Amino acid sequence: MRILIIEDDTQAAAAMAKGLEDAGHESQMAEDGLAGLNAARDGKFDVLVVDRMMPKLNGVQVVETLRREGDQTPVLFLSALGEVGDRVEGLKAGGDDYLVKPYAFAELIARVEALSRRRETGSVSTVLKVGDLEMDLIGRTVHRAGTEIDLQPREFQLLEFLMRHANQSVTRTMLLEKVWEYHFDPQTNVIDVHISRLRSKIDKGFPRAMLQTVRGAGYRLEA
Amino acid sequence: MRLPSLFRTTAFRLTLLFLALFAAAAAAFLAYIYVATAGEVNRQADTEVQRELVSLKTVYAQGGVDELNRAIIERAAGEKPFLYLLMKEDGETISGNIAETPVEPKTAPEARAAFRVRMTDPDGNVVRRSAWGRQVKFDQGELLFVGTDVGEARFYVIRLVRAIWGAGVLVIVLGLGFGLLLSRNVSRSMAGLNAVVAEVEKGDLHARARVRGVGDEYDELAGGLNAMLDRLERLMGGLRHAGDAIAHDLRSPLTRLRARLEAALIEVDRGEIDPTQALEQALEDADGVLKTFNAVLAISRLQAAGAPDQQVFDPADLGTDIAELYEALCEDKAIDFKAEIARGLSMRGNREFLAQALSNLLDNAIKYTPEGGAVMLRVRSRASGDIEFSVTDTGPGVAETDRARVVQRFVRLDNSRNQPGVGLGLSLVAAVAEAHGGRLELAEGPGSYQGSGPGLRAALVFPPAG
Repeated sequence: MRILIIEDDTQAAAAMAKGLEDAGHESQMAEDGLAGLNAARDGKFDVLVVDRMMPKLNGVQVVETLRREGDQTPVLFLSALGEVGDRVEGLKAGGDDYLVKPYAFAELIARVEALSRRRETGSVSTVLKVGDLEMDLIGRTVHRAGTEIDLQPREFQLLEFLMRHANQSVTRTMLLEKVWEYHFDPQTNVIDVHISRLRSKIDKGFPRAMLQTVRGAGYRLEA
Repeated sequence: MRLPSLFRTTAFRLTLLFLALFAAAAAAFLAYIYVATAGEVNRQADTEVQRELVSLKTVYAQGGVDELNRAIIERAAGEKPFLYLLMKEDGETISGNIAETPVEPKTAPEARAAFRVRMTDPDGNVVRRSAWGRQVKFDQGELLFVGTDVGEARFYVIRLVRAIWGAGVLVIVLGLGFGLLLSRNVSRSMAGLNAVVAEVEKGDLHARARVRGVGDEYDELAGGLNAMLDRLERLMGGLRHAGDAIAHDLRSPLTRLRARLEAALIEVDRGEIDPTQALEQALEDADGVLKTFNAVLAISRLQAAGAPDQQVFDPADLGTDIAELYEALCEDKAIDFKAEIARGLSMRGNREFLAQALSNLLDNAIKYTPEGGAVMLRVRSRASGDIEFSVTDTGPGVAETDRARVVQRFVRLDNSRNQPGVGLGLSLVAAVAEAHGGRLELAEGPGSYQGSGPGLRAALVFPPAG
């Protein structure tokens, strides 16, 4: 995957590039908004990681310009500003996700990968399949190896998200944001409890556990 | 000397302005009275003179100049006489009680004149008085001037004008005095407020204006100023406290982090421990520091700027979401969880911060409630119309004397030392409540339950939307 990092803090950008490289992605860096905009126009990137505050052109201006020109490359905003208003502003400008500094690499990589995946699965399918797990989005049913699994509505949403991002790490924060649609920071790991409930439903009694815990990152649904 | 500055006050300037307006109005009024009364005096005199002329013309018509001459001599000797002068065609005097006609030229056939006449008053003094008269010419060429003394009437007009002038001067003097008094009072009221502002400018945030309790606009201003200073002082205190708190609370974990890294460096060097493990521990410590920092920052921002992005929403939706999120956690810990959520209410607020606050309360409740205990989330409307979110647990509770204290930053009660946390949870909840115009109320829970108790009942109370 090719990722463009538009960030004026070159040390942070280099560390990020290193982290992405270790995760198997190729990245290019731009030091300011204008250079970033030009690079984004020229190159074919799968995801843009854009800092909010930069010299020449700020992140929001870069993304607004790209969107006006019809460029729909997924954008992950990075910002030291953690307030809700900033997040809303970033998403309104055409950003697809928002990450507050300082962040964990695992979080960054999980979100970047989730963004690129979103574009790949552009087609509308009514059935999701991961390994022997099958989800019927219309009938709201889930089967594993032919056995029906009974899920609560929220468990269904949680599994749907995991299936859409199968074989990718997803973090607890991402789950709270995308499944529950809250952006706060719980003191305890409430998400873990929900995951373990789901796990007991989809993995119990099957020879192989699909829902894996990724140390220091979150969870991964493996095919 | 205070006087010069007194002259610069707004009250005094307004007084001057009004006095100037009054003086102009009074002058116009005087001028009008003068013109009106003086004109009336002359008009009346003219009427009398004309009547006398008509009467004398009749005499002339019947008896000619001789009869007229006799009539004039007769009438001039009468009481309160007119002024007469009968002349030949060339202006030579025939008879009369004035020496010469005031009309110019003397032989004018038809003329009117206002003039002054020298007269002898009853005491024998010679006085000059105003007079008014007309001159006519008869068929045979004789000229007759008849005038009348208007001095007395004029005198009254002049006296009237003088009286009004005097009153005007009196009003202006009184007005000036009153204005000075007024502006001195105003200055005195303002001086108190200005002194407070000067004190604050010098850096003393404790200075407060005196509210006299009269309820006038100065009291209102003083009250407003004091309220502003109270808030400013609280904010400054909060900021200073936040700074101290960050410094204090970050110092120990940062020191720990540093020590751990230093020790790890030595141990890894000697091949005693796995570098990955040391780094993971360091990372965890760093995350802890960041979490504390974020919480302190969030509290300070809420206190300084209030809650951003407030929207009207149904508190039941928030309650249901959070209940669903935490129900599993309770079940996991064998705590009985119940949610009682009233529908159809409406409030205004920032959904994220309120979710964070409720989550903190539930985190606390679950943390302190032992296995087999109970936690309850309730969303309802109070009789007063306020919206209440409450979380009740059956943990040990908080003693009444400690309730105010646990809300403060970094305060951890002794029995919570062995629990995770830094002591910012309830501070953040209270800050969220205040940022929405609400409050956090802590009370005793349901009492003894399954060997634990009395529990804690934490309620977030908000005004309803609209």
